[in-house]
Amino acid sequence: MKQLKRVSGFALMFLSFSVFAEIAVIVHPSNTDTLSQEEIQRVFLAKTKTFPSGEQAVPIDFDDSVAVKNDFIGQVLNRNSSQIKAYWAKLVFTGKAQPPKTVASDDEMLKLIAANPNMIGYIDASKVSPDVRVVGTF
Amino acid sequence: MKTHYLLPTALLILSAPATAEITFNGFGSIVAGVSEDSPFRNNLYDDDVSFRPQSKLALQASADLGEGLSVTAQIMARGADDFDAEFEWAYLSYDISDSTTLRAGRLRIPFYRYSDYLDVGFAYPFISPPRTMYSLTFSTYEGLSLLHNFSMSSVDVNVNLVYGRVEETFFPTTNPTKGTLSDIAGFNTQASWQSFTGYVTYLRTDVTIPVPAIEGLAAQLNQAGVPGSLTEQLRINEDKGSFFGFGLSYDDGDWVFNSEKSEVSIDDSLNLTSDQWYVNLGHRFGEFLPYFYYGEIESERNTSIPSQFPASLQPTIQGAFDSQYIEYTETGIGVRWDFHATTALKVEFTKYDDIWDRNPATALGTADNKESMNQLRVGVDFIF
Repeated sequence: MKQLKRVSGFALMFLSFSVFAEIAVIVHPSNTDTLSQEEIQRVFLAKTKTFPSGEQAVPIDFDDSVAVKNDFIGQVLNRNSSQIKAYWAKLVFTGKAQPPKTVASDDEMLKLIAANPNMIGYIDASKVSPDVRVVGTF
Repeated sequence: MKTHYLLPTALLILSAPATAEITFNGFGSIVAGVSEDSPFRNNLYDDDVSFRPQSKLALQASADLGEGLSVTAQIMARGADDFDAEFEWAYLSYDISDSTTLRAGRLRIPFYRYSDYLDVGFAYPFISPPRTMYSLTFSTYEGLSLLHNFSMSSVDVNVNLVYGRVEETFFPTTNPTKGTLSDIAGFNTQASWQSFTGYVTYLRTDVTIPVPAIEGLAAQLNQAGVPGSLTEQLRINEDKGSFFGFGLSYDDGDWVFNSEKSEVSIDDSLNLTSDQWYVNLGHRFGEFLPYFYYGEIESERNTSIPSQFPASLQPTIQGAFDSQYIEYTETGIGVRWDFHATTALKVEFTKYDDIWDRNPATALGTADNKESMNQLRVGVDFIF
């Protein structure tokens, strides 16, 4: 019974979200922080510059041309891309913050996160490598 | 301790760590507008399509100097000023801590919800924020700003404490006069929770604007024997000016709602306190955001100053105050189309209606003062 429920749950999820990739938010393996979705949002929206542990947090994003970026905006930031663009325009043109640095490929993302304990990024969950730690999937 | 972590990260990110990294950003708007040929309330347009009044282009450079210091400068060329480039922002900022920043230089006065990015059309739905509410014609000051942000559970709070001075040509369309707002002091506090954002602003200042018409009237009255202490009640001379405003916004990704209200006054002067507000509602359908807004501005009648004058002069003085009276509404309907990642096209129709109080007791306005004006604008906003 329990198993059946789980199976139909999965099937439902698959049906409704089949077009979206599952997103894994990743950090350096030495980073042992636990981050809620809200804390991840705060880091990526420049509302905080630190991890819960107090260490500096440097978010890394993808270029606009990388498809997974839109999924991240929708599934992790819970916003749409025009909201996000307007949000950064506000911060940039008041000199308050710049959007995260970006990379152009999954490989670059994995390399950067694996090499730097302060960075936090994301990737299609199916492409996670053992050199990074997953802090949440969405 | 902080630099210990900062330095290795900075070295990793920056490709040329020996020099300060300079970031360039820019934005602009090309707005074409046409209206009925009417001088209604300092109308910016007429019946010939014009691209000049609200088009603008801005370039911003910011440099991180390290150790929490950064420099930001924004140069803007406005069609309204013949595209002469001027510094809108130019300031040095210092991060006292992760949550507190001190800024010094030329900054934006945080009057309204959109003050900080007043010219960045890409960041809001309308072609320009409603005129009824955004009625003050100056927007920058020279001085200090202390920004502090903190969060209480899931509410993010931003506090901006302001101190500074404005030297400007005030009343540019009616009585262009060089004047000063000195000792501007106040705060803007913004709080956001989930899809809601609210703010409150209070600013006070000492206002000196020697409007020739008022100075002339005061001199005439002094000659006629009216004491200077009384004509001081007309002159805008070191009088306390105050601004109080608040607003609430909601944006859940689909629905967009904005509302603001403010009161602007200059004490002891031939100037009427004005109250203004608007509401705005929109809904996103994919790349399209149709929106609507309605706003009002209304002056408060002043009878207390005229009543201090000798009886024979009271009608003249009351008349001078009443001639400043304004009351009109604004109804806008438009659509924003995000047809490109960094460019939005907007089409907006706006109708302005004078709603003078024609109450015979106050003798304000006549039937002839009831005017309306229609305006149509098409704009493209972009960021780069």
